[in-house]
Amino acid sequence: MKITPIRRTVQILSLAAMGAVPLLNSRGLTAVSGSFYSVSIGPLMLTDPLIAIQSLLATLRFDTVLLASALIPAGLALVLGRVFCGWVCPQNTLSELFDAAGRRLGISRFFAPAPAPLARYAVLAVILAATLLFGFPLASLLSAPGIISVQTARFIYEGTVGLELALIGVILLAELFLVRRVWCNHLCPVGSTLGLFRSKRTLRVVMVEEGKHACIHCRECVKACQLGLNPMAGEVAPQCHNCGACIDVCRKITGERRPLSFRLCRRD
Amino acid sequence: MSRQPLRPPGAVAEAEFLGRCIRCGKCALACPYRAIRIAGLLDGLAIMGTPVVQARESPCYLCLKCVSACPSGALDSRVKKREQVRMGTARINKKECLTWQGTFCRSCYDHCPLFNEAITMDSELRPVVNEKKCVGCGICEHVCPADPAAITVIPGGAG
Repeated sequence: MKITPIRRTVQILSLAAMGAVPLLNSRGLTAVSGSFYSVSIGPLMLTDPLIAIQSLLATLRFDTVLLASALIPAGLALVLGRVFCGWVCPQNTLSELFDAAGRRLGISRFFAPAPAPLARYAVLAVILAATLLFGFPLASLLSAPGIISVQTARFIYEGTVGLELALIGVILLAELFLVRRVWCNHLCPVGSTLGLFRSKRTLRVVMVEEGKHACIHCRECVKACQLGLNPMAGEVAPQCHNCGACIDVCRKITGERRPLSFRLCRRD
Repeated sequence: MSRQPLRPPGAVAEAEFLGRCIRCGKCALACPYRAIRIAGLLDGLAIMGTPVVQARESPCYLCLKCVSACPSGALDSRVKKREQVRMGTARINKKECLTWQGTFCRSCYDHCPLFNEAITMDSELRPVVNEKKCVGCGICEHVCPADPAAITVIPGGAG
């Protein structure tokens, strides 16, 4: 079974929910309410782990409810990897769309840095340090999914949007002309934080060459990866979003013998 | 917005509010009157994304749904009754107020949710704000027939 059609469905449903929640809320149906910063589903609250950590640092106040509400999203990342990024986040969906358009138009970027997992954690550390220093929730202003969802709600409630959407525009332009997928791959503090919740058993793309599962080194998986990762090299975390594009293309070429697959396992 | 904006009910003191509010927009989504607006970048980087009430257009009716929706403690969940709310204090501009200028009007007095407590009538039937009771909801500012409103809420206080 191909992964991409399922993922596209989840992405479209996520975008639809982002509009449906404020629309229903505005009509008094508030069972589900919130944004990609924090969402309430009945009595259950889910908060972006970055936002919960930020609150702790900005206020130096241990808010048990807020921190506990980040446990399910953090647990999801721990088990399934950064599936929020690859399957749900509206910024990733937009970036994928623009990347596909850019490729079709034949736009080439100015820079092509190698994947650097440490750099993104440095960016996260600077943001969190500034949050602590100034007592100001800086990460909220840099959460692309948060901004997109709140501005969608604002558009539905107030018929207008804020200039902070300019950040999204800048990201898309930078990704189109400067560095491919630079925000998701190198900068986004939301994704970096989710990447911290990771164990040896977290779901990941693994190449298994056993018996008939032989890699033919066609490099199609490398071409399929928008983040510029090499699934054949083994360790693609923490950059990988578990989008499954490499697995799909691997199956297309090698059929049922595909050596690339998702594994919830310890990797030696 | 150079001065402090009017915050939803239950808001902690402004400096603390700016640190606690995670800009999630849940309070605005919860407000049945659409009285809570999300500040934009043009309102200032510090308050961008935070909730503001523009009382003249749409005041707070003190249902306190926003307080229970707030996940971060920026709106203090201990504020459960409307008497506890302290969004600000209404102030009458006597030079613009119809009654103070001799034309009889009691819009603010009649519409005040803390009826005859936060706004009372003096011996000559002119409205007077009781600063100890006023919660700063802005309904008086919303209904004032003078243009611009002769009674406005000065934001401030916590709760």
